Amino acid sequence: MKAVKRTIAIGMLGLALTASIALAQERTATKQGFELPANSGKTILLFRPKISVGEQSTGGMFEPNADWTDSARKHIEASLIERQSTLGNKVVLAAEAYGEQARLVEEHIILFGAVASAVVNYQFFVGNRLPTKKRDNKAGVFDWSLGDGVRNLPGADSADYGLFIYNKDAYGSTGRKLLQVFAALGPGLGVQSGEHLGYAGLVDLKTGDLVWLNADAAMGGDVREADGAQKRVRQLLEEFPGSVSNSAERK
Amino acid sequence: MIMRRALIAFLGTALLASAAAGAPKQKTSPAPVPPPYAGHYQPQGIDEIGIWREDDERERALANSSQVIRDEALNGYVRSVLCKTVGEDRCSSVRIYILRVPLFNASMSPNGTMRVFSGLLLRTTSEAELAAVLGHEFGHFEQRHTLAQFKAARKGTDLLSWAAVFTAMAGTNQAYRNFDNLQISVYGGLMRFGRDQELEADLLGLGYLNGSELRPQAASRVWRNLILEVEASAAARGLKKPKFDNVSFFASHPPEGERADYLYDLAAPDSEGRDEGADRHAEVLKPWIAQFLNDQIALNDFGASEFLINRLGERGWTADLWRARGDLFRGRGHPRDHMNAADFYGKAVSLDPTLADAFRGLGLSLIKTGRVSEGKIALQAYLRLSPNAPDASMVNLTLSSIGGR
Repeated sequence: MKAVKRTIAIGMLGLALTASIALAQERTATKQGFELPANSGKTILLFRPKISVGEQSTGGMFEPNADWTDSARKHIEASLIERQSTLGNKVVLAAEAYGEQARLVEEHIILFGAVASAVVNYQFFVGNRLPTKKRDNKAGVFDWSLGDGVRNLPGADSADYGLFIYNKDAYGSTGRKLLQVFAALGPGLGVQSGEHLGYAGLVDLKTGDLVWLNADAAMGGDVREADGAQKRVRQLLEEFPGSVSNSAERK
Repeated sequence: MIMRRALIAFLGTALLASAAAGAPKQKTSPAPVPPPYAGHYQPQGIDEIGIWREDDERERALANSSQVIRDEALNGYVRSVLCKTVGEDRCSSVRIYILRVPLFNASMSPNGTMRVFSGLLLRTTSEAELAAVLGHEFGHFEQRHTLAQFKAARKGTDLLSWAAVFTAMAGTNQAYRNFDNLQISVYGGLMRFGRDQELEADLLGLGYLNGSELRPQAASRVWRNLILEVEASAAARGLKKPKFDNVSFFASHPPEGERADYLYDLAAPDSEGRDEGADRHAEVLKPWIAQFLNDQIALNDFGASEFLINRLGERGWTADLWRARGDLFRGRGHPRDHMNAADFYGKAVSLDPTLADAFRGLGLSLIKTGRVSEGKIALQAYLRLSPNAPDASMVNLTLSSIGGR
């Protein structure tokens, strides 16, 4: 009886842990046959990154922090531009769109989010592959697409690829850290403090194919600081096709 | 032993703390008109500023959503009803988004984003009824309910996390029992906290209505109409009549029956003779009824849809209403339904001989009931009225399969 209840308690506290375990298998994938040689003169259109930074309360709730979110956005966008030289290609920020075009951009950002999470759940987690993705010898094939509607996105005609970025950071609050220490020292329960989720994806703006995706539930680098944001961007664009030098640095 | 006693003391204080979280709101009749607006509110403190920033991001996405109905006349009308209710100064802090969602709901988020579902517009029968719901939502915004709910939830989950650790440390059966009770108490307290907020928003909303030129008794009718609709829906499925007077553990709102009663009691006594704006409401919604009804029918809730169509019919049956009723019956598709549907479509086309969709439905249901040659004529009329219809080739196929076009 007691053992059962203890398991329940552990389960409750350990919930946050499962997310990172699920991702432990694969983090990056590139479409077969896709190559982006360095300095090939391609243009990459960067859509407005989704960035959200805050604290994690003692009970595990996300507490959004506007100030941190603002500085993270500033630092991340700055380091993306700065890293252009090592990406080997030109990265341009997508201009603010209006009316029908803005609707199209919003729709595709949401669509990218849906496709990316499907990739994380059903591609990166190998045991979870969908039957349609295994049929016809497609077991090892990375084949995902947003559809050729991406051609109509504003700026798509003058660019080759679209880059989508998502970042969510919840830094463990003092209360959460205390709970973590107490839970570990006392009953020996594991409590995760902080959550750092990020993914970046590259889409071919002619076909809509997802050519590269990198997703990680345990990212390094403190995005609230300029240095940390540089490290985060480096990790987000790890194994980015066409990079001049692939950074192997972690945490 | 000392530890266990400390734990029990800890859990005891925790229980008291969570019990004190939701102080009940007072009902004074009639609901007082709210004080003059304090001016444009800006978020204060790290939590509220953070919540608003997240909300700004959500609104940015919402503004570009394809679910939003952007028709200027309809948006202008809903805004004018809100402004009439809460006053021009309050109204200027709100952005309204009408969403094409066929459900009875509206919501307001912390930064002043109001979402109004098309299903609400279909269900309200007058300006005053719409105003009652919009005023309620504005009440949530003015009282900053999301922030309070966020803080209450954080407090509750913080408490439970510590309690879980201490319970595991003590490891006795008594400690686990205490923890179970604490969980029930915290979650129950949070749900009740939410219901108290709804009550407070109801009272504020009625206060705005009392202070406006609209008839506040309409607020009570919103809930009585909803009860009738839910009953109609249950009856069509052969389900037991739902209860509208008891509060369940996870209920997010006070029960509908209770709301209808106290809202009626709190209306200003001298306001009975005021205008409800039923005609103005019907006039603005006229071009939208067909689309909103199509969305409602697609919900596959026969009883509720039939109830809504009949209520709209009380103002006079239009071709659109007969056509929608025909679609509802033909959609259910029993042989007896096709008989009724053909009858309804027939009424629609006699009221409006240019209504292509009614001819289509008429033709299809006549063919189903064996009146093939009449059905053929109706389908031919459909193709004549709407030669570029997306299903034109399918209708042609149907026509050729029953012998000639």
